[in-house]
Amino acid sequence: MLLPLLNKLPFGSRLKRLLRPPGALPADAFADACIGCGQCANVCPNKCISLQGLDEGLENLGMPVISARSKGCLLCMACTVVCPTGALQKTSSDEDGMSSVKMGVAVVSFDVCYSYAGRTCGVCYRACPLPGKAMRLGLMETPIIDPNQCTGCGLCEQSCVHMPQAIRVLPIEEWNKNKEAYDIPPPLPPSPFARSKK
Amino acid sequence: MQLKEIKIGHGKRLIFSSIISRIVVIMILCALAALTDYNNQKLAYNNARLVEMSSGSTSKFYYETADRFFSLHKEPLQASQKNAGMTWSIRLMGVPFTDPIAAISVLVRRHSMETGFALGLLAPLSMALLFGRVFCSYICPASLMFFFISRIRKLLLRWFLFPEWSAGKGLAWGVLAGGLAVASIFSHGVWSLILPYFAIGQTVFHGLAMGSLSFTVASLVIFAMLDLFLGKQFTCRYVCPTGRLLGFIGTHSPAAIRRKASDCLEPCTNCQDVCPMQVNPKLDETVDCSMCGECMVVCPTQCLSLGWRHTLQLHPKE
Repeated sequence: MLLPLLNKLPFGSRLKRLLRPPGALPADAFADACIGCGQCANVCPNKCISLQGLDEGLENLGMPVISARSKGCLLCMACTVVCPTGALQKTSSDEDGMSSVKMGVAVVSFDVCYSYAGRTCGVCYRACPLPGKAMRLGLMETPIIDPNQCTGCGLCEQSCVHMPQAIRVLPIEEWNKNKEAYDIPPPLPPSPFARSKK
Repeated sequence: MQLKEIKIGHGKRLIFSSIISRIVVIMILCALAALTDYNNQKLAYNNARLVEMSSGSTSKFYYETADRFFSLHKEPLQASQKNAGMTWSIRLMGVPFTDPIAAISVLVRRHSMETGFALGLLAPLSMALLFGRVFCSYICPASLMFFFISRIRKLLLRWFLFPEWSAGKGLAWGVLAGGLAVASIFSHGVWSLILPYFAIGQTVFHGLAMGSLSFTVASLVIFAMLDLFLGKQFTCRYVCPTGRLLGFIGTHSPAAIRRKASDCLEPCTNCQDVCPMQVNPKLDETVDCSMCGECMVVCPTQCLSLGWRHTLQLHPKE
């Protein structure tokens, strides 16, 4: 019962990995550079960047963080332009700049997703800023994600109609650490011609 | 050749202008936080009528005002995105301003600095070199709070007896060193708990842009308590590392409060008693003077004036 409280201690959340704004340096370099001035959160037109409070420990105090389920990143790159310390590297807002961003990787929970259960959905594909590259559609509009091209903007997670979300963005540090556990081939959806059980 | 005496202003005028300028700074902070909403509405609706339909007529008024202002430039959204930040590190129409403490903190932890970040140091450092601690009484929004708290303290002192605790200058240097140590272990964000003006910036930003109450209110309350019970403007004098650093940089600032020694009354200690920074104008001390002008108000002979330091020599001590 007391175990979750350990995470609230200053050193408890050291391993916690959070989704940072686009163009962010790797976790350690980012913590060295970011002074928590809030300029990125200030210019974000989507208001997806918020400043972290004390709830993630002193390591993340005042740092910008994106919670993709409530708001994903539009990849407009306004935050990378204003960042004074270079914690967010300057990135262009065209398609090249977009695909160079690596905030995280989206991972589908196949047992939750509507499309993988045979009920055609495809909402996440419509939300993806790099359709056809980062996300392809399989049979029955099942999302198939290319981990090398996915930017981790979180628009798919924001738009997912299932509750809880069937697609989640893992921060890139988390993905790199547990790649084998998350990178599993997508199963085939059930055949639409199979007779439904009563 | 006799240098002409430059009188920039009388004491009351100085206090008034310092209050006005700090209120303007707070209004700029509020406007920057509100710009986040404007950016959002600009991208989402880009139409005053839609803004009114979704967020009400007050929203529409602010939206139209901001739109009119930023439409003077080419792209309203991009022009508004050139303004961001808080007193810790701010960008106004693309011009960056950096807190020296932030620069030191980044240097200690990262050993390198961005060019724009270093350029932002120019204005604060040159201001400190020329005028000393003027940041403390003309820009710092926290010191406005402490200014009014010192008035409340004065009122309470009629009925209660609070000690005037005097810590050395070493305390602020210790806070600076301790803050740097904590910031290099955890994150630079811990300065928001240590620096009062950063705390105010965080509070305003969290309150207006994110709609949440910031944790930094707690540290503001602690600073206010220190000020109320331990001494007049205790935080500014002994705790705030920025003030100490700026005072150190501006030790030999050319602008200073000067005393006309021939007019000064020997037994009067009004200026010494009233000074919020506990500088003694009577001994011609000017280190740490923030040019608030309180001593000029209480001086019975008007022998104190604001001007350039080298003209002090015109009035040799008797």
